[in-house]
Amino acid sequence: MLNHIIFTVAVLGGINGLLALLLVIAERFFANYGECTITINEKRELRVSGGSSLLVALKTDKIFLPSACGGRGTCAYCKCRITEGGGPVLPTEESLLSEDEIADNVRLACQVKVKSDLAIRLPEELFQIQEFKARVAGLEDLTYDIKLVKLRLVDPTDIQFTPGQYVQLQNKPYAKAKETVSRAYSIASSAIDTKNIDLMIRLVPEGMVTTWVHHHLKQDEEVVFTGPMGDFRLHEGDAEIIMIAGGSGLAPMVSILDELARNKSQRKITFFFGAVSKKDLFYVDEMKQFQEKIPKFTFVPALSQPDPEDNWKGQTGLITIPVENHIKKIDTAKSQAYLCGSPGMINACIKVLSSNGITKERIFYDPFA
Amino acid sequence: MKQTPEEARIRRNFETGILSKDGFLGSDERHIHDIIQEDLQTLSRLGVYPDEIAQRLKHFIDEGKKGLEGKIDLGAFTVQIRWDRGMIPCPFGEPGLHPKIHARLFHKTKQREIRYTQLGVHLIRKHGFFGGKGSVFRLEPAELVTFLGIDTTK
Amino acid sequence: MESLSPWVIFFAAIFTGNILLTYFLGMCSFLSVSKQIKTALGLGLAVTFVLTITSALNYIVYHQILEPLGIVYLRYIVFIVVIAATVQLLEMFIERYSEPLTINLGIFLPLITVNCAILGVSLFMVIRKYTFIQSVLFGAGSGLGWLLAILAMAGIRERLNEQKIPPALRGPGIALIITGIMAMAFVGFSGIVQIQ
Repeated sequence: MLNHIIFTVAVLGGINGLLALLLVIAERFFANYGECTITINEKRELRVSGGSSLLVALKTDKIFLPSACGGRGTCAYCKCRITEGGGPVLPTEESLLSEDEIADNVRLACQVKVKSDLAIRLPEELFQIQEFKARVAGLEDLTYDIKLVKLRLVDPTDIQFTPGQYVQLQNKPYAKAKETVSRAYSIASSAIDTKNIDLMIRLVPEGMVTTWVHHHLKQDEEVVFTGPMGDFRLHEGDAEIIMIAGGSGLAPMVSILDELARNKSQRKITFFFGAVSKKDLFYVDEMKQFQEKIPKFTFVPALSQPDPEDNWKGQTGLITIPVENHIKKIDTAKSQAYLCGSPGMINACIKVLSSNGITKERIFYDPFA
Repeated sequence: MKQTPEEARIRRNFETGILSKDGFLGSDERHIHDIIQEDLQTLSRLGVYPDEIAQRLKHFIDEGKKGLEGKIDLGAFTVQIRWDRGMIPCPFGEPGLHPKIHARLFHKTKQREIRYTQLGVHLIRKHGFFGGKGSVFRLEPAELVTFLGIDTTK
Repeated sequence: MESLSPWVIFFAAIFTGNILLTYFLGMCSFLSVSKQIKTALGLGLAVTFVLTITSALNYIVYHQILEPLGIVYLRYIVFIVVIAATVQLLEMFIERYSEPLTINLGIFLPLITVNCAILGVSLFMVIRKYTFIQSVLFGAGSGLGWLLAILAMAGIRERLNEQKIPPALRGPGIALIITGIMAMAFVGFSGIVQIQ
């Protein structure tokens, strides 16, 4: 009896072993995609081992496509054109791409797997983007819901950016947020300081990264961000500048004002800052300093609903009011407007600006709403 | 109820830390279809369609936008909205991204406030989804109907 | 059973002795994946492939290993192991060459392993004492029969998408009713050829 049991077990084991061996060999053969070449913009070639997503493959060559969701296929930031080798469009991509985009070979880099040679098109600015490790050098409360985060770069140690650009900061898993996502924050510090950057981060209800920054991020902690990105920047000319911002939208304006100060700009600049009450105002002293450094700069804060205790003597009402009053008094034929803040504020201001002679090509803002 | 792989993939979007910090389900373990079904039954007993609720909620957001981030007084209610940068996809996975608008609606007589988002309005209107029980995002349909003063006597 | 032509067995497996509509095996992935013609076709072909290969392999294992060694009672375990290995191989193949299909089939691809139709066909071939050729064609035919059933179902369900079905019957309810009606239709084929 025992012999028989051992015998049957041995036979079963033998059959299983044989099949397992067969599967291992098959896996070697099937899962091995070999080396694939990714040709970028018809000039740059990248050799990678197949099998990973395009987003990850590009990262290995230090090419960073914007991504807020960490490659999970929910944010659609990583769109790029794949002219050859992309394979059929996946169900996970279909829900985030429009029909025109699909017809134009636009795909989500995080969903497309590199299985054969690919030819893709990327905008040239993308090649300036790098991944940075930095250390939190300072955390300061600017208001009850906006924090100033000062980062000292660790690796690489220097960053070259144009005032107005932003970076994508990644969170670390914490409490309920088990995944890493990233969000865009404009750089508030001077472009001359290549070793540090400042970010102004406002707490968003249910926000994954802002909650992490406000409640979990500590001094000296190491963080990761990619950048610099974005087209928002100062445009040449000597025409008058109208700046409009609200909340953490102050950040890129600070960097741009620093640039204007360093260039000893003689342009007339009026900066309208909209907030609800006095507790939302910050950096007022810094603005006073800019008024001294830049000959024709005026800072105009406006509170839409000041509290009685604020004893507010400045402009009141929605930000569109002082803006409109101002531009009605000037010649707007060449003026430029720079906006940063909540999409609602930006929409309202664009209406006011364009109906008063400032055409769309002279209105600048980061369209990431 | 067994979930198809498609449904399992969609459910993941509702969990904490994927699309929003606290997720949309709270402590609710039920299948999303069951959650929606139960809420729809509550509403049909009251003779109200999710669309009516969504319409009212959207109306308040539209009024709130006029004040940028300040409070707007609308008689029986005050509303204050925040519109942050970035877009959020619908957790159900259909195409389209939604703006991140967060509203605080305060009922002056009842002295109660509800908080909801533009995405939340879409979830109610298109999917009949009011959030899982125990979720910070959950709006009880029956309470919403009385809060918003929707007519149930038709 | 050696007197029956393998092609008759093949034909009968598709129509008169349809593994799904006559023997009601393989119902669960049939009900879940029959919502779209594309995925139904993909799964149907996958099942046909698995059935053909496993019929052949299991025949060899049964007659060359289990019978001579007198351990035929192990067939249940051994058949399942062979089926599992075949499905794994198929999975690797599909993942490599068609990612949309992998995503669309999802969990139902590995679930082919526990599809009772697969084990059923292997056991039937043993009970009915088929020869090797008869077994292989029996497997292929059963697969094609299953494919036919799931394709027909997917076609019907796609058409029904726009129709007003009573709420209580939507989903599994109407699917089972349709399956029943299709099965009754297939009974009409039974006079053509009789296999047990």
